[in-house]
Amino acid sequence: MTDDRDKTGQGGFRLDPFPTQGAESPFPPLYESLPPRDPPSDWIQSADAHDLPTAPEPVVERVNPLVSLGRFAFPPGPPIDDEGVAARDQRWTTQTLVIAGLFLLVFNAVSPLNWSHQQAPGWVSETVEKVSEAWVGQLALLGADMPRHGLREAWFGAKDARFPGQTPAPERGDIE
Amino acid sequence: MLFPTLAFGVFFLFVYFTTWSLDRENGRRKLFLLLASWFFYAQWDWRFVGLLILSAVLNWAIAALIARKMEREGADAKRGWLVGLGVAANLLILGFFKYYGFFVEQAGDLLAQFGWERDLPLLQIVLPVGISFFTFQGISYVVDVHRGKTPPAKSLLDVMLLMSFFPHLVAGPIVRASDLLPQFERAPRLTREMATHGLLLICWGLFKKTVIASELSVSLVDPVFFDPSAHSAVDIAAAVYGYAVQIYCDFSAYSDMAIGIAALLGYSFPRNFDQPYRASSMQSFWRRWHISLSSWLRDYLYVPLGGGRKGLFASCVNVFITMVLGGLWHGAAWTFLAWGALHGGVQVVERLGRSVFGDRKVMPTVLGVLITFHIVCLGWILFRAETFGLAMEMLAGLGRIGPVTMLTPLLLVLIIGGLAMHWLPPRAVEGAAERLKTAPSITLGILVGIAILLVEAVRPEGVAPFIYFQF
Repeated sequence: MTDDRDKTGQGGFRLDPFPTQGAESPFPPLYESLPPRDPPSDWIQSADAHDLPTAPEPVVERVNPLVSLGRFAFPPGPPIDDEGVAARDQRWTTQTLVIAGLFLLVFNAVSPLNWSHQQAPGWVSETVEKVSEAWVGQLALLGADMPRHGLREAWFGAKDARFPGQTPAPERGDIE
Repeated sequence: MLFPTLAFGVFFLFVYFTTWSLDRENGRRKLFLLLASWFFYAQWDWRFVGLLILSAVLNWAIAALIARKMEREGADAKRGWLVGLGVAANLLILGFFKYYGFFVEQAGDLLAQFGWERDLPLLQIVLPVGISFFTFQGISYVVDVHRGKTPPAKSLLDVMLLMSFFPHLVAGPIVRASDLLPQFERAPRLTREMATHGLLLICWGLFKKTVIASELSVSLVDPVFFDPSAHSAVDIAAAVYGYAVQIYCDFSAYSDMAIGIAALLGYSFPRNFDQPYRASSMQSFWRRWHISLSSWLRDYLYVPLGGGRKGLFASCVNVFITMVLGGLWHGAAWTFLAWGALHGGVQVVERLGRSVFGDRKVMPTVLGVLITFHIVCLGWILFRAETFGLAMEMLAGLGRIGPVTMLTPLLLVLIIGGLAMHWLPPRAVEGAAERLKTAPSITLGILVGIAILLVEAVRPEGVAPFIYFQF
């Protein structure tokens, strides 16, 4: 064992071999409980810091326990790559088209029937006609043809309107 | 097979599902799209599918020869004759089918005037639908390869699909090889932006075509242009404005639907219309109307003629020639030539005016818009009338006092609405697509369904072909 205290020859302590700062405390620092400092003013040097707007209060996110449970039970997957995004967008587009198609199949059911009437007689057109007739009839019982019928009536009403002094429009038969 | 029909809807859904099921196999995907495009074209006349194939093979072979020559002999290789051959072959096809009857008839009349009446061989030639579009596309491909603006296609399949791709096949837009070939080289991706934009364009196009254009055509324009002498000034003026709206709604609707259909298949087409009746000069009009044709005429006709490089006089002559030939492109008739000459003449006047006044504003923008619109309407009379005689009758009828029998409140609303849509925000559809792309698929699906239901409920029975099919 040697004593280094006098090795400097200046009567002081040599601190080099020892840490110059205290070891980190295992406890959380006390200043964390203090309010955050105001942001520094960079345009009015003389302004009192207390007059300046303070940083917003940190928002504590409250997570719904059920959501937490859900995330625990079904952890979200990693972010998807480009191919995944493309597949997701394609699926979304397909769903949109399918939903639009189904919507029209219900509310515009008369369209295939009209199409079959415009075709030359044949197996396809007759089959479409028979199936469509049954489909249109069943949906009419539910009133699914009413939006189209209402729109059509309104349109023909607008078509038949005339300026004052003009000859009235001829009477129409069935508008379908 | 027209876009706004149930048959096309079924065809498109089949193509959509099949192509996206082949999205990892770009070659097979393109082959399927080519076969689907030929099927689509064969619905008009299957014999002309052969013409389409012949035209594609011809352009592919000539572009390949040009590229090989450039590769072997460098960029200075003499290849002008090859380009000339390619352009001439395309023009020969176009000329035979579109202009043969017209020129033979004119030659017969000319000979008769000199007392040499001859029975020239008149043939009943059926005009293949869309021939003007696919031959112009072929010419631009050959010339672009020659100019080094686009590399030659990597396969014949790509050139065939470039020229036959069904969304643009029969009425444009004229999509350049430099736009489409790079897209064919990789498997396309469908994004929500593209899909939403495409769906909105299809709905908007359906509305413009089947509601506005069809109604104006059937109830106002066709009867008045058929017999102008039976109508008063108000009806004739309404028919002229109505035709201005009809042709815009008809042709821009086709372009919108073509762009939308291509977008749903993963391909991007350039914009073809940009609110043309907002133009305050004829030059501005041609930067907004049928943009793919006007830019084609600029790049492959006006610039090779010398453009504006040789002074004011030469530039005026060049722009006049370009517009007259542009008129002839629309159809083999003197009325189309006169229409082109009117547009060319007004552009010449504008150029001379600019050379005198410079960039100074000589009239308020509103006045410029009104004057340009009415010159365009005057041109539409020539464009729509079957003969010069009928066009003159239309003009004479603008001074005839009489009862208003054709114009109804609904038609007036459609005309005003068709013009007012030019003052919507310039990128309204894109803006709406940007907002809707985050919507759930069920919401957008129902919105699309409602839009199509609205169109279906008010459309007249059957759909008239698009005006530009005849060109």
